[in-house]
Amino acid sequence: MIGSMKNLKTEVAETVQEESGSSGFEALFMEHWAHVYRILHRLLGDSSEAEDLALETFFRLYQHYPLPEKEFNLGGWLYRVATNLALHSIRSWKRRERYELAAGRYALDETPEDHPAEIMAKEEEHRFVRLALAEMNERQSQLLIMRHSGLSYKDIAKALKLAPTSIGPLLVRAEREFEKHYRALAQEELP
Amino acid sequence: MRKHLTDGELRAALDGELEATRLQHLDTCTDCNERKEQLQTESQQSARRLAFLASTDGSVPSAQKAWGRFSQQNRIRKEFSMFRKWFSFPVVRFASALILIVTLVLAFPSTRALAGELLKLFRVQQVTVIPVDFTGLEQLTGDGALGNQFTDLISNSINVAQQPGDPKEAADAEQASQLAGFTVRLPQGKNPSQIYVTDAAAFTLIVDRAKAQALLDEAGRSDLVLPETVDGAEISVNIPASVSVSFGTCPKPTPDSSKVKEEQIPGRAYPDCVILAQIPSPIVNAPADLDINQLAQIGLEFTGMKAEDAASFTSAVDWTSTLVVPIPRNAAMYKEVTVDGVTGTLIQRPSDDSPKFALLWVKDGILYAISGLGTNSEQAIEMANSLP
Repeated sequence: MIGSMKNLKTEVAETVQEESGSSGFEALFMEHWAHVYRILHRLLGDSSEAEDLALETFFRLYQHYPLPEKEFNLGGWLYRVATNLALHSIRSWKRRERYELAAGRYALDETPEDHPAEIMAKEEEHRFVRLALAEMNERQSQLLIMRHSGLSYKDIAKALKLAPTSIGPLLVRAEREFEKHYRALAQEELP
Repeated sequence: MRKHLTDGELRAALDGELEATRLQHLDTCTDCNERKEQLQTESQQSARRLAFLASTDGSVPSAQKAWGRFSQQNRIRKEFSMFRKWFSFPVVRFASALILIVTLVLAFPSTRALAGELLKLFRVQQVTVIPVDFTGLEQLTGDGALGNQFTDLISNSINVAQQPGDPKEAADAEQASQLAGFTVRLPQGKNPSQIYVTDAAAFTLIVDRAKAQALLDEAGRSDLVLPETVDGAEISVNIPASVSVSFGTCPKPTPDSSKVKEEQIPGRAYPDCVILAQIPSPIVNAPADLDINQLAQIGLEFTGMKAEDAASFTSAVDWTSTLVVPIPRNAAMYKEVTVDGVTGTLIQRPSDDSPKFALLWVKDGILYAISGLGTNSEQAIEMANSLP
């Protein structure tokens, strides 16, 4: 977790876009594509959905292009928009049904040597996590996603436009809220 | 003695994010350390559940290929956005924006067909499609000087005689038929979720040649010259009441489509919505000496179409009876299909994120349109064929 935290820290480093025109945007796209895709893939567990929403994130960014210099926190903006799109997608029951199936299939494809029952149990847990995050207040969900993806308090504060000292208290509240939703969902599924 | 650490500060300490001065207190305070351990136990549970969010496993689709998809879809979106903006002009906001714009730009009767009559009469008997590059109209639909000039020209030239008002909900086909003044047909074996009736609308357009030509000149198209005879020409348009029948979960129809905001990815908000619209042919009266072919040619060339292509298209269309539907050239495709015992046109927008389809046909003087989201356009054909 700590190792990946360092990688992600660099991934969300603030970028100031000074170029203009489509070649400038292409460079920006190339630089951030993998990062945005990974955020979405982890959240959704579905590669095609992640790719669609990653493209949608860049469409939305393109609407702001050329980006305002200096004050625009590109890393934070991408994180915020991508996670919002993912949470919105999870909330939609039709999409949810689709990604649940896709997530299970993906997991089996990726780790064929593992025991299917264990994989399914793990995916079931991931499913509850995703649903719990989608049910929560958007800012609390984003906070948890960012922190547990390895972002520092400073980067989270910048992305969500919060004071760095408020991250600790907000995390405590968000994790308690998350546990409440998670347990309620798991309880619902009990036979 | 400094005050004890808050839960938030203890959480920051667990994450290695607490400022040094507060950490000093933690080094010496037993009470705070006990609470820190409790909090750690509590947060470990969440951390374990959420740990997969930090995974960097799995391959990432090629950025180069993704950029290719982005560029292609971006062009389609841009063109479609122009298409929507064009249809959101105040004059086009009535029940059938599609019919109206076609009427204004292209669909006037030919002089040859009705030579000698005082007025030309236009009624829809068939539909044809023309792919148009709507990005060519970007200047007119934007907020720039040309866009404002165009808006002024339209609003000063048009006198609205009858506003359609908000759509009214009808309980069933019978009530909708009474309100709309024609027999509404519903597909057999399907239950509509909503039926709305939009009242008739009417307006008159008086052409100001000088202003229209100035607009063309301003747009850098002084090669396109409007005929002198167009000046002062009065064109009246009557649009009958229309009926919109929804199946599945659909948005309520709005008289002003420009105010509809897409909060979600387009097409995902109403995935099972299919709408069947029915409207008797609008009626257009125009002066007999208006050269419709020439005006249509100018309109098409303005969108960027080559002169010979525009000429070929305008001469092939029977303007007295054909509804010409402009569709975004790069964002839609179409084909002819047999439905409801007549030839119809199926238009599809094959976008990755938001595919859409529309089926148009005319039968017994009524124009029908079935539109929906997704790629399953077969359901439109089945629905059309199940009309009684």
